[in-house]
Amino acid sequence: MLLVLSADHQAHLGCLPRAGGAGGEQAPGRGGTGPESGETGPGRGESGHRAEPRSFGGRTAVRGALCPAAKAPRAPALCVFFKGKLNIGVDIIQHGVEGLVYLLTESSKLMISEVDFQDSINVLGFSDELNKSLLQLYLDNRKEIRSILGELAPRLPSYHSLEWRLDVQLASRSLRQQIKPAVTMKLHLNQNEDQTAQVLQTDPATLLHLIQQLEQALGEMKMNHCRRIVRNMK
Amino acid sequence: MRFRFCGDLDCPDWVLAEISTLAKISSVKLKLICAQVLRDLLGEAIEYDKILKLTSDAKLESGDVKATIAVLSFILSSAAKHNVDSESLSSELQQLGLPKEHASGLCRSYEEKQSPLQDRLRACSLRLSQLGSVHWRVDYTLSSSELQEVNEPVVHLTFNVRDREGDKMTAVPVTLSANKFWVLLADRKSVV
Repeated sequence: MLLVLSADHQAHLGCLPRAGGAGGEQAPGRGGTGPESGETGPGRGESGHRAEPRSFGGRTAVRGALCPAAKAPRAPALCVFFKGKLNIGVDIIQHGVEGLVYLLTESSKLMISEVDFQDSINVLGFSDELNKSLLQLYLDNRKEIRSILGELAPRLPSYHSLEWRLDVQLASRSLRQQIKPAVTMKLHLNQNEDQTAQVLQTDPATLLHLIQQLEQALGEMKMNHCRRIVRNMK
Repeated sequence: MRFRFCGDLDCPDWVLAEISTLAKISSVKLKLICAQVLRDLLGEAIEYDKILKLTSDAKLESGDVKATIAVLSFILSSAAKHNVDSESLSSELQQLGLPKEHASGLCRSYEEKQSPLQDRLRACSLRLSQLGSVHWRVDYTLSSSELQEVNEPVVHLTFNVRDREGDKMTAVPVTLSANKFWVLLADRKSVV
């Protein structure tokens, strides 16, 4: 499956080949960009390879853009850093970073193969080295990007805990000498880090019926229909 | 196999698996770790560093340390929940494979703190709302815009109710005439 890049997108990514020539100074610069740069491999920085600036910048940009806990505002800090090193306008750098992030997130989202990725970026007309380093960047970070994207989906409230209590009503204002059992439950739910609690009360017969219904629902998984679908999904 | 401390049910698999981890720690250190876990169950702060120091000799990984704390929490709270005495607990733990000294050390810590633990568990039980306090005032109405001579006593009551989460107190004000108040008192006495 090929990734189709719009004209704007291609123009933004076009700034990347221009951001060359700053190869030698990556190692000290890496410390300056803060938490995002910590994950680059130990071997890479010392090589002084020509393709390093783009892949290094790309990696930090991707990490900074996608890391939900990034404290430093990634765009201004990175753009100022690169403006100083590479003498390009801040806007162009920002567009370039955003273009790169979009390219990587779309590729990871659709889980496109190496061949398709290479064909998609051939449209941009970059050098072979740059294409190779972009491909390497994609392959290295694909899994992590997918795990971060997985957490962005909306969620229903999820189960946190259940407190319960068994009571027996012995008498009331209207009627003395009764025996009426009741189960009171407090269901704690988690939704986007908010905790809510719902209080429910039922008599034991309804509770047994509820349990029976839930066990039937679980039992559905063992039926032939579900088994066939699960087998086909694997 | 049915165990009393599990509420006459089978012992959970993860507890069985972690018993061997417990056996790796010496029985003296296990008793000290139990004391820390009991502090946590009674609502005081747990001193995780001390537990890490105590388990460092047995060379347990961090996952194993957490598993040890979880297993001890389960055993102690479950035994208190089902009101198991310490000799039965000791024999059941030995049946699960815990060495004799470890089991007896654990049970001695449990026995010391059994009643406070049960009181604490009782306090933590589900409660919907709780009456905090009641304030009252009796007034005597002399006259009003409707009737010149009223001459009736009026009772004002304020119930301070702690809501379900236990954070806020809500005040519920109630005003009653004298007759209604007698009815309320009579009903309340009939409950007791």
